[in-house]
Amino acid sequence: MISGAGYFQPLKSAGNYLLWMALLALLVLAGGYCAYTMEHEGHHITGMNNSIVWGLPHVFAISLILAASGALNGATLSSVFGNKTYSPYARLSVVLSICLLIGGLIVLVLDLGRPDRLAVALTTYNFKSIFSWNIFLYTGFIAVGVLYLATMLEKSLQRFTQTMGVVALIWRIVLTTGTGSIFGFLVGRSALDSAILAPLFIALSLVMGSAVLALVMTWAGRWQSQTVSARTQHSFVRLLLWCVLAVLYFSIVHHLTNLYVAEHQSDEHNVLKGAFAVLFWFSHLALLGIVAALAFALKQGEGYLSTMKWHAVCAVSLIACTMILYAVIIGSQSTPQLLFPDKTITASTFGDGGIGPYLPSVWEWGLGIGGTALSLLLFGVVLRVLPITSTTQS
Amino acid sequence: MSLRLNLALLILPAALLLVMPGYADDNGPVIPPATYGDQCVADTDIMRKEHMSLLNHQRDETVIEGIRGEPFSLVSCVNCHAQNDNGGQPIRIDAKGQFCESCHTYAAVKIDCFTCHAALPEENAVIGSLQNNLPVASTYSNKQLLVMQSHKVAHKASHDYQRK
Amino acid sequence: MTTSVNNNSGGDQPQGSGNAQLARRRFLQKLGLMGAVAASYTLLEVQAKTAASSDKRWGLFIDTSKCSSGCDACVRGCNEEHGIDAGKDEHTRAQWIRKIDLTDNLTGAESSVPVMCQHCDSAPCVDVCPTGASFKRADGVVLVNKHTCIGCRYCMMACPYKARSFIHENLTDQKPSAPRGKGTVESCTLCVHRIDSDQNQQPACAVSCTDEAHSAIVFGDLNDPDSDISKKLKTVGGSQIRADLSLNTGVRYHGL
Repeated sequence: MISGAGYFQPLKSAGNYLLWMALLALLVLAGGYCAYTMEHEGHHITGMNNSIVWGLPHVFAISLILAASGALNGATLSSVFGNKTYSPYARLSVVLSICLLIGGLIVLVLDLGRPDRLAVALTTYNFKSIFSWNIFLYTGFIAVGVLYLATMLEKSLQRFTQTMGVVALIWRIVLTTGTGSIFGFLVGRSALDSAILAPLFIALSLVMGSAVLALVMTWAGRWQSQTVSARTQHSFVRLLLWCVLAVLYFSIVHHLTNLYVAEHQSDEHNVLKGAFAVLFWFSHLALLGIVAALAFALKQGEGYLSTMKWHAVCAVSLIACTMILYAVIIGSQSTPQLLFPDKTITASTFGDGGIGPYLPSVWEWGLGIGGTALSLLLFGVVLRVLPITSTTQS
Repeated sequence: MSLRLNLALLILPAALLLVMPGYADDNGPVIPPATYGDQCVADTDIMRKEHMSLLNHQRDETVIEGIRGEPFSLVSCVNCHAQNDNGGQPIRIDAKGQFCESCHTYAAVKIDCFTCHAALPEENAVIGSLQNNLPVASTYSNKQLLVMQSHKVAHKASHDYQRK
Repeated sequence: MTTSVNNNSGGDQPQGSGNAQLARRRFLQKLGLMGAVAASYTLLEVQAKTAASSDKRWGLFIDTSKCSSGCDACVRGCNEEHGIDAGKDEHTRAQWIRKIDLTDNLTGAESSVPVMCQHCDSAPCVDVCPTGASFKRADGVVLVNKHTCIGCRYCMMACPYKARSFIHENLTDQKPSAPRGKGTVESCTLCVHRIDSDQNQQPACAVSCTDEAHSAIVFGDLNDPDSDISKKLKTVGGSQIRADLSLNTGVRYHGL
């Protein structure tokens, strides 16, 4: 797969690289401070509570993990499906994927009530828990990614690149299924109790990963004084279009089936008309808009978009998918759990029957942004040390 | 490799130098005597070395199997070893200079028990729990050692089992 | 509506009776290896004496016809017993037991019920816990082992009854019999510290309810056909909250 990809070399310190790294390091420090404060004071300083038990940090963490799985798109297309357009970006794609996953995991771990007991989580397993399986899937994904990268970096190992590419592809599909299943197996929450969440999460991961990869490719390319070629962009536009369509498909099927089932009426009311309506409609209309824009670009200009428009498309896709995740993760918790189907709750000391209150605090924002910054900081550092970026266009 | 070796050679003596001052004029920690009873649930030597593994084993038995009122429970420790202030009010066992704190500070080991567990004795519980839990024989050290060792084995066994 | 209460089927649960036996046997094997016969006798007696047994399945029967809307004696009794501060924000403080007032959508009939951990036989919280900290005892009591709880709150996501609480802040002055601390999850323990020491003792909520002359909460062994709770269930009947989930709860309600 490497043939035709030209030379790879570590990034030269050019332009505003150091400035970016310094900014990211600051964000990481701020995130660390937020995490420390949360652990020291306890979660009462966050917006999370006993009704909304998973909050903004989980939205960030799941987004990063999904994006990590999807960011491998470039490498998969190159080494598994033999699409040479992506060959110059295959290494970048793997490194980005690993870094995003690490950032996501750090956010997840630092949000624990007892992050000091991480060793317990890594040594004591309950194999009936999908969470336990995910611990293996996540750490295994990093290992597979590192091996995959090694087959690309080391000439004598390059004959294994395709095999590792297949392993990584299967692994990430299982990983994203596992992540979706964290929510899909919850019988107690009717808004979540659905197997379709797993494919929805896979589709979301493809969109988010592709969008991040596309943004980062120009980011890294700029320091090598390069631009992404028209051919690559054309391919990317088609990729993103199909992935966005997949997200819309699974999301619409999910909500249509829920609308049909009487039991899910209040969940759907909350998401479509209630507190989460803005998120839902904005994200879905934005994705529809992106489908239209990309289809138009393919028809009129063979997929050509100005860099600014292309970046805008990627950024909006990312934000829209994160909003969908927010609505899935937090919307589902804010919907009251139906304990007494035939009765109306007239009084409760624990908000039964009402919408769960949640307003993310500055600490949660800090932790989430810090984790994202950590991913990008790691990515920037690896780019400087290893020959990841290509010097020739494709 | 050689760089790593050099680093290790540098760091080890440095670390030794750092901890050396702790040994200067070392008379050990000042541990206050127990408030109730004249014999602990095991010999002092055993308790000093093994109290955590005894406590951990007892803990797992109590939490998971519901076995209560056994000698090596944290509540029993606090009941006997927490001291009273001049006004007769009990003092937290992890307060400065108290039974747990004095030794743990000396050994530089953080206590993770009393953020959740009560550091003050049960009300009116001391006498009863003493009578129930104290060993009866006086020639205990050998047997106690056996019990203690089997506790350790049992603890490991129960952990291995849970892990499976 | 159902009154049949199966005991835990074992197998997939780490604390079934077979497992306890197995652990005990292994424990003895290891002792045998050491040749410490005297010590093994001492410990064997201790172990066999008081461990929670799968012969029993503890449960609660709640007669909603006796429960009154304005009364929260059970909640106060529980808070007092476990040192729970009820004065704090209702969404972040611990809520082991809560009162809910209901109106029937069809008939307009009003009722009031206490809701706590339902001590499911197939507990979702036990299934999802990554470290096995959320577990079911041999006698059916669902607990959190706070020594291995990492505070991930997945059990709270999984619980259909909103019965679990995460400790959001530092606590002080805990009761010796109710260790509780920041960063871990907790819920109703059926007052195991009381029922383990003396099988005639009742959980604090049941005692408070009786003291209030309501006697709406009956505690007892669902496996024993002659226990008060089994007789009640047999004569007046009791249903489960969210029986559709087939969780086989240990808490049953009459008049829901």
